[in-house]
Amino acid sequence: MTEKVASKKNSLMTWIDKRYPLTDFWEKHLSKYYAPRNFNFWYFFGSFSLLVFVMQIVTGIWLVMEYTPTGGESFASVQHIMREVRYGWLLRFMHTTGASAFFVVVYLHMYRGLIYGSYQKPRELVWLMGMVIYFALLLEAFTGYVLPWGQMSYWGAAVITSFASAIPYLGEQLLIWLRGDFNVSGVTLHRFFSLHIIAIPFFLAALIFVHLVALHHVGSNNPDGIEIKNKKDKDGVPLDGIPFHPYYTVKDLVGVVVFLFVFSIVVFFVPTMGGYFIEHDNFIPANPMVTPLEISPVWYMTPFYAMLRAIPNKFMGLITMGAAVAIMFVLPWLDRSRVRSIRYKGKLSKIAIVIFVISFIGLGYLGSEPVSTVRTILARIFTVAYFAFFLFMPIYTFMEKTKPLPERVT
Amino acid sequence: MMRSLFLMLLLLFSSATWAENTANNLVLATAPIDRSDMASIKRGAKFFSSNCMACHTLIYLRYDKVAQEAGITLDKMPINVANWPFGIKPPDLSLEVSIRGVDWIYTYLHSFYQDASRPTGMNNLLVLNTAMSGILAPYQGDQVLAKNKISVGILYNDTNWYDLLVLTKQGSMTPEQFDATTADLVNFLAYAAEPFYEEQHHLGWWVLGFLSILFVMMYFLKREYWKDVKKHKE
Repeated sequence: MTEKVASKKNSLMTWIDKRYPLTDFWEKHLSKYYAPRNFNFWYFFGSFSLLVFVMQIVTGIWLVMEYTPTGGESFASVQHIMREVRYGWLLRFMHTTGASAFFVVVYLHMYRGLIYGSYQKPRELVWLMGMVIYFALLLEAFTGYVLPWGQMSYWGAAVITSFASAIPYLGEQLLIWLRGDFNVSGVTLHRFFSLHIIAIPFFLAALIFVHLVALHHVGSNNPDGIEIKNKKDKDGVPLDGIPFHPYYTVKDLVGVVVFLFVFSIVVFFVPTMGGYFIEHDNFIPANPMVTPLEISPVWYMTPFYAMLRAIPNKFMGLITMGAAVAIMFVLPWLDRSRVRSIRYKGKLSKIAIVIFVISFIGLGYLGSEPVSTVRTILARIFTVAYFAFFLFMPIYTFMEKTKPLPERVT
Repeated sequence: MMRSLFLMLLLLFSSATWAENTANNLVLATAPIDRSDMASIKRGAKFFSSNCMACHTLIYLRYDKVAQEAGITLDKMPINVANWPFGIKPPDLSLEVSIRGVDWIYTYLHSFYQDASRPTGMNNLLVLNTAMSGILAPYQGDQVLAKNKISVGILYNDTNWYDLLVLTKQGSMTPEQFDATTADLVNFLAYAAEPFYEEQHHLGWWVLGFLSILFVMMYFLKREYWKDVKKHKE
């Protein structure tokens, strides 16, 4: 770069910086944001989540251009997108695959936080905001699944909104208020459309912003769960920290390409994922007169659905399902361990995590299968195990013997 | 501890197989189709227009190029017929492959048999008491349930349609011709459900190829940058 160009650029930056803290922002969040140098595989999924979010927004904008949110026309308008809009099939499959991919990466991102204790002091708010994002994401996915107005859209909406009716006294009125009609109808579809494309995405964008602000304020955790800020050089730079940009931007780019490779395999070759990403029955237009034999939610909601079905009483089932999500919110206050990372926690914590993972995946599987006696018993066992993981956490994390922490990250 | 976990997993998967055993499991024959074979798709379209279109619509196919060439136009379709026999309207088939899959349709079309107790005189192994008439019987010929195999029953798993049915009188096609014709028909229905299929797969390979090259570039870019990180480690 010649001197002339450099000075020109600097003068422009000076002009902007006097009026807007652009350089400050760049440095605070990228070029002088020091991240621990020992991030491993699990640390890709935060970046992936952001990527998928952007992808969903962009493909969503284009889909809305051709989609019609009315009971009479929405199913046909999706077929119009698939057949008559140029690359419409690509936009739609990217969006449907993106929905499932979002949950894949968010579940792995949450699991990372769980095993490395990223929710512990001082990162409780990062975890809490993340949990709100997860909850909003469930609503976003649910409202989105209604839009193609196939049989599963319709009956899924009917089942999930009917949860409201289990609430004593207020239930029936609440149900009508939610649906905007006495049954799930075009009115319901239209309002879900509004929520799906405006309200929830706005909320999500704001939440993701504060999630990142909180993270960059306290700094990233790492697989060893020790604070890199405790060991700094004379300039105040953590000895084990490296600037996020360029180090982690170039590293994440490698991950992003691998992610997009897997993503593309699904989009171009198996977009319905054998009925897991788009259910077969959703190719039948919504019909209030015909109830499908099996109504099951998409895979990312099945763990909670399995809990609901495992409890004989509908209201108690709902409470259980709600509690399963709610208990994740208080995780930072359940863990009383002296260390953060699973690497230095004791045997009990390790066993607990294994049980938790098996229960969660087991519930997910059971929730996508038809009910049987054996499955119901299994679902009950897994539900108990799921809650035991959280409820006994204050005890087993406190009493177990932890390993000594290293001085510096490994 | 680990043993009980293992046991739990074992139970989980074995429960899946139990459930499958109790369902009506006719083994689906694999439809011998090549979805890139345009000639087969057009043959299927022709067959559809002269045999199926009297009852079935393909509303989402519109005036698609392939359909036009095979003589399929919307105005010929029975959208406005008011009274269907037995009050059952034949389903629109534009998304049938997405709903059921090619193998299901291929098996369904093969597994019709003579049944005097039905108003149409026909029954089907895959859809018991189907309302569809034996429109393909003149081509396939007459099939009857093999009496000695009824005891095995269609409620048992692992039976193919041809284990249970016997061809008593050949129709205008040999069994091989009939297989080929139904394969063409299924291929056309697959096209009708996903007309973008060819473009999707073609583009898919290019995208994967591009990403592979990009991966190599990004990998070396990362390695270049991260050289000095190892130095930090002293």
